[in-house]
Amino acid sequence: MNFTRLVAATPKRAIASLISLGLVATAACNDNSALLTGVNTNRQYVQIERLGNPLVSEVFFPKRDHGLDNTKSPIDDTQPMTNRGTDVPGHIRAFASAFGRSEKIITTLGSVLAPDELLVFPNRAPATAGWLTWALANGYGGRKLTDDVVDTGLTAVFGNILDPAAPVIAGLTSDNVPPSVRSFSPSFPYLESPRP
Amino acid sequence: MRNRYLTRGRYLSILFAAGVAASVGGIGTLLASDHQDTPEVELNPRMDINDVYAFPGSSPDRVALVLTTSSPIAGQTASFDPDLLYQIKIDNGGDANEDLVFQITFNNGVGSAQQVRVVGPIPPPAGPGTVSTLSNTTPVVEGAVNSILGSATGVQVFAGLRADPFFIDLEQFFNIIPDRRPSTGVLSTQTGPAQSSFRNPGVDTLRPFNCLAIVIELPKAQLISSSTSTDAKFGVWATISR
Repeated sequence: MNFTRLVAATPKRAIASLISLGLVATAACNDNSALLTGVNTNRQYVQIERLGNPLVSEVFFPKRDHGLDNTKSPIDDTQPMTNRGTDVPGHIRAFASAFGRSEKIITTLGSVLAPDELLVFPNRAPATAGWLTWALANGYGGRKLTDDVVDTGLTAVFGNILDPAAPVIAGLTSDNVPPSVRSFSPSFPYLESPRP
Repeated sequence: MRNRYLTRGRYLSILFAAGVAASVGGIGTLLASDHQDTPEVELNPRMDINDVYAFPGSSPDRVALVLTTSSPIAGQTASFDPDLLYQIKIDNGGDANEDLVFQITFNNGVGSAQQVRVVGPIPPPAGPGTVSTLSNTTPVVEGAVNSILGSATGVQVFAGLRADPFFIDLEQFFNIIPDRRPSTGVLSTQTGPAQSSFRNPGVDTLRPFNCLAIVIELPKAQLISSSTSTDAKFGVWATISR
């Protein structure tokens, strides 16, 4: 039987129902007003990526441990890896020791960056906001878009801001890319418009 | 205009080409941060959290939270992954566990046709930890990406394409710490002698590229209750789950 004969032989009500079903299905697929896509309270989502403070994983963790760090929580950060933790202080010690950095620098960084949360003291003066200002200057903390976190991190590890007696490793305290390379907006949503 | 996500290989090909062009022009060499920190997110950029920010909002009683993902993006068309759960987590109890979460999900629209749904801040529906479930709580904001949603006095949200805000000389970073190199692409192998210091001036590697950003601004009282103590604090981190 060819298609024309099949259609001719099919009761009109059945065809109408099929067409109706098709329209309903099409409408459902294209309905962007139904914003609940993916809202299935029975589905379990497993964490595959994590980030708190900038540079903690990228700088202090060897590449082989980045996946581990991504699948853990801040509460795991002070636990040794033998106890299924990420051992942020231990990773900092291993990295900084390789560059001969002092015990004071190592212990300070470990206490400030673990657990790995971006700390915010929102009742402090907004003008004092900036990465790690809560630890360095009793400030607001957090992380502003204009913060040169690379230089701050490099200076903390390779400079003498955390230990005046520590030698400064020339050439490693700045990547020489200043915040002025960006022009952030003072109003919401703050980030620059997309590049072409 | 060719608009698409770049795989690491494509990204680095363009960077290489841009570097050659820049060198010819006498500008210098452009080459390629938690950007692309594992092989899995190199292959799936929408699973990659690039950066997290938290800073004072439009008034002293407000806080802005930012999550960026998917960098580097060349061009202006990109979409969030509708199968992923993006979360910004808040620890206001000081025990290194999340007490509040924002759950951000997207439908399967493409580009500016995509819709965002934001729930929170709410206690984590499945409790703290690395396994999450979605809340069926009424969203605080939902609507189109690439637009400002919500209220300037309540919860305000932007989700969409922006220029990548992170600045770093990434190529030189990899030359100093080769272990952190990506697994594939030009920068996966040493292209010059190992370096022991940064160059001056440095190269703003991510300058040409875009990212997908989620920006949430809200009254700080929603994160630390009504405490006025200058020692009141909260910790922030972001996660992506699938």
